[in-house]
Parts: sequence; C-alpha cells; structure tokens
Amino acid sequence: MKITAIGVTLVLAAGGLAAQQDVRARLEGRVPAEVSAAVVAAATQAGAQGLPVDPLVQKALEGAAKGVPAERVIAAVQELAARLATAAGALHDGGVATPSSMAIEAGAFALTAGMSPQQVRDLAAVSVPPYDPATSLRVAGTLAAIGVPGKQVVDVVSTTIQAGLSQAEVAALPGSIQTRMARGATPAQAAAGQTRATATRPAPAGPPTERPVRPADRPARRP
Amino acid sequence: MSHELHPLVKLLLDGELRLSDLPPELKPEGERALRLLESIDHAPVALSPALDQRVMMAVRARATSRWRWLVQPRELRIHVRPWTLVPALAAAAALVFVVLRPAAPSTESVATVAAPESVTVRLVLHAPGAERVAVAGSFNQWNAAATPLLRSGTTEVWTATLTLPVGQHQYAFVVDGIRWMPDPSAPGVDDGFGRRNSVLAL
Amino acid sequence: MPGSVGAPTIWAMKRSSGDGASDADVVQAVLAGDVERYAVLVRRYRDRYARYAAGLLGSIDAAEDAVQDAFIRAFDQLSQCRDPANFAGWFFLILRNRCFAERRRGGREASEEELKDATATGRWARAEAAAETDDLRRAVQRALLELTPEQREVFVMKHVEEASYEEIARRTGATVPSLKMRMHRAYDRLRGLLREHWK
Repeated sequence: MKITAIGVTLVLAAGGLAAQQDVRARLEGRVPAEVSAAVVAAATQAGAQGLPVDPLVQKALEGAAKGVPAERVIAAVQELAARLATAAGALHDGGVATPSSMAIEAGAFALTAGMSPQQVRDLAAVSVPPYDPATSLRVAGTLAAIGVPGKQVVDVVSTTIQAGLSQAEVAALPGSIQTRMARGATPAQAAAGQTRATATRPAPAGPPTERPVRPADRPARRP
Repeated sequence: MSHELHPLVKLLLDGELRLSDLPPELKPEGERALRLLESIDHAPVALSPALDQRVMMAVRARATSRWRWLVQPRELRIHVRPWTLVPALAAAAALVFVVLRPAAPSTESVATVAAPESVTVRLVLHAPGAERVAVAGSFNQWNAAATPLLRSGTTEVWTATLTLPVGQHQYAFVVDGIRWMPDPSAPGVDDGFGRRNSVLAL
Repeated sequence: MPGSVGAPTIWAMKRSSGDGASDADVVQAVLAGDVERYAVLVRRYRDRYARYAAGLLGSIDAAEDAVQDAFIRAFDQLSQCRDPANFAGWFFLILRNRCFAERRRGGREASEEELKDATATGRWARAEAAAETDDLRRAVQRALLELTPEQREVFVMKHVEEASYEEIARRTGATVPSLKMRMHRAYDRLRGLLREHWK
C-alpha cells in the first residue's frame, strides 16, 4: 500500500516536471531567465487548477517580442493566469461542470475585452447543448472588443440562442452587427437592433424552463 | 367544477400504480382516464422519402461553396480610416481582407488535409513606404520573423495567407521590424503592456 | 397499464447498420470531407424522431420541415458535435430546439390548419375504428394541441414514444420532478378539454 502510494506520487510529480520542461523549452532563448522562472511557476499552478497553460507562454513570448521590460511581462502573465481562473469559475457558476480549455480561453478573452465575470457566467448558462459556451464567449469577446456594452452583448447572444437559431448564426453575430455599424449605428445601437430583429421572430414570454435555469438539484450537464 | 384529476389517478396514468391499486371510489375515474390514453395513436410516423434528397441537396450546396465562414458562405471586408504612422513612414491605410476557404480538402489539394477545425485566412495591408512587413501573433508564437507578408508586385499592398485553428487569435503587424501596429479596423483588445492587439475570432 | 408493457423504448433501439459503420465513423468521414456519407445519418434517423416532431407540431408537414431543417443545421454544426458516437442524442436536441422555436413562432393557440391536419384521416385516424373511438381519438388529438409546448413534449415522449421519465430527463435536461409536474398539469388540462368525453 505504502509503496503504491509513493509510486503514484512519483508518477504525478514526473508528469508535472515534464510540463514544466515543456514550458521552459518554449521560452528558452526568447525570454530572460527571470521571466522564464515566473512563467513556469504560474504555469505549474495553472496546470494544477486544470487551467490552460499555453496562453501564459504566449503572453510571455509576446512581451519579449515587443521588447517589454521583464517585470511588466511577469505582471501581465500573472494577471492573465488570474483571469483564466476567473473565467473557469464563471463557467462553473454557469453550470459547466468541467469547462474545456477552449471555453476557459474564450472566457478569459471575453473578460479581457471588458465583459464582467457575471456576464461570462450568464453566457455559459444559456449555452446549453447543442450550443457551445466556447463559441458564445468567443463571439461575446469579439462584440465587446468592437464596442458593444457588456449587457447588450449578453442580450444579443442569449436572444439568438433562445430563438433556436443555429450555432452558425451565433458565430455570425459580429459580422451582422458590424454591417449595422457600417450603416451608421453605434455598437450599442447595432446590437440592440440585432436583438430586436431576432426577438420579434419568436416572442418568448420568458426563457423556456429547459434552458438557462439551473436549479440546485439539477445534475451537471457535462460528464 | 374542478377538472383536476385525483393524484392517485395521475400516478395511474404515469404507470406507477395499477388500476387494482386504486380505492373503489376512484376506479371509474381511473378507467375513464386510461381510455383516453389508449385512444392515442402510437403508429410510427414515416416522413416523405424525398426528405433525404432535399437534405442532401442542401448539404452538397454548402460543401461545394468555396467561401465558408464556419458554415455559411460569407466574405468579410473591413475598411478603415487611414492610419497615420510616425513621420518616417508615409500615411498608410490598412485594409484587412479576410477570405475564408472551406476547411475540408478540395479535390485539388488532397495532399494537404486540413484539420476539420481550421480556417484559411488572408491578411492584406496597404503600407506605402514600408520595406518589410510581418505579422506576429498567438498563432506563430509572436515571432515577427516567422510570417512575413509578401508585397504584390510593385504595389504598396502586402499579403499573407494563414491556416489557423478555430478559436480566438491575437495579432499585430510589424512594419520594418520596429513598428508594432494593430489593425485599426479589426476588433482590438488591451495587450496587457499598454498597447492593443487585433483579434481574429474564428 | 397505459402503453404496452415490455415494448422496447425507442432510445434502446440498436442503431440500424445500414452501411455497417458506426455513427462516430460516419461523422468523422463527413468532417474529413466525404459529404455524401451524411446520407447514412439522414437515413438512420429520419423517422426515429418523426413521431416526436409530429406530436409536438401537430402535423406531418410541419414535422417534415422541422426534421429536414434539423438535419441541415446538424450538418452545419457537425464539427461541434462533441460526442460523435451519440450523434442521435445531439441531433435530437437540435430538432427539439427547432420544434420549440416553431411552437413559439406559432403562438400558444393551435392554428385552424393544425387542428384540421391533426384530425385528418390517414395517419392520425384509423379508418377501420369504431365511430365512437374515432371521435374520442380526434378529440384527444385536438386537445393535445392546446397544451403548452413543454406539456405536449413530455406527454408525447411518455405516452406516444413510451419513454420513461428518466429517459425524458436525460434527453431534455429537465429534472424528473419538473417533468412530472408538467405532466400532471397536462393531465388536468386534458381532463378539462375532454369533459364531454369523460363518461
């Protein structure tokens, strides 16, 4: 029993070491030593929390390529790690028991673009199968990045999903809204117009009980 | 007059009780309720054989279309105001022309099987006076040397074609190796270093 | 007991091996570019949910439109099918969304066309049945159209498709208690709508 436990611990430790070496190898020659050490530490912690590690490596490489001082790069990496954790928490609060790396990255992207954790949670909650929270959050981040206020982002994505439109139509929202903006609407006006146009097709009295509501006794919808 | 069924009759309809389980005074109601259920048509419904054909026609039309934005044909062209660079460079107007091809292999490129979840994107930059232009982003580890844009002939138009996995990507142009330039027309986000990156959400 | 005891529920049916390949294999082949293979999935599942769609929408025509539309949407979104081995369950959700969107578009009241279609001879009535039973059957079909989409869905799945509450919960994501509550409200509503036949 004791030997087995040690064996398992060694295997787990070896897995962690391999990941650290991978991070070091990617950063070698591209970032100063202190940045590499900080990223390895952040990545180890992120990996242990089930968060994706690649965005942290990317952020360090970006900072180095742009000639940013080391301490600023380290701060940006740590900030991104915290944002990934916040995104994962928001997805979990929205009912996604085990969010995918893509969903977490998309959530962090939405936060970077200016959405709040509550708004990320709400979008996760409305994106039940066959809708994918990664797509909803990617679209939301893009809309926020072009200037649509967070509340209207949630409205337009939720309305599109609740109207039963396809995933592709959700993904096409940035294009539709930019078309409206090209005609002179502000981002907020464009999003509101899109929401109205979608909502006047069906006219839900409120969200159907099958979709966004997550009562406490409901089993997690993903294995 | 209440039209509510007795709770035990409801359990009978649910199949959780048998008729014999009901108290005598409820049996007539139970029988009437069962009769309603038994009148329901359980016959399988068969749809028209032409349905298969109609679905496959629509599917084929989508698959053979050369321009696909994930699943719908879409060409996205974003125009911008002229972008004024530092005095060393002439004013440049950045035009990002994103052209998406189907990720599934076409008949002439069987050798290069694109992963089902990737799209091909072409970036175009109008940068008069520039000697070299590259794009750096999350897709090439922010290596400015990895993805140079090619000048079309002697014009001031620079292009690059990339195949990117589905997801969100951040990038910026690097002009003459020194000037990092986000695409003013594309959505932008804070890069965490006080500047902005452009976003491609595929 | 209502329904036929021992009849296999539709969800337990083995996949017909039209061309022998599993759903996962076919999905991967389509995603790799062999678009014609999608016809295998259409053939396999076109009729499986036809009764469900017809039950929800009140007519065969509407069901055909919904199933056709759902297959096209499923093709569009196929790269997002996370578990290709369970294409059927994933497709069902797409069809279900489509049916509910259709119901919401149509409003709460069943249209006259739907009522006529529901009582037309052919699929929903058996020509050889006794006049009285026929009358009752037509009345029940009309009454079903008056239920809310959610009530209708659980009723159709339980009493036409003969699925258990647990199966329905698994398929739709609703909890068993909420399904039972919905169903029991449906029973009361039907009882009120069919009081002339309540003898």
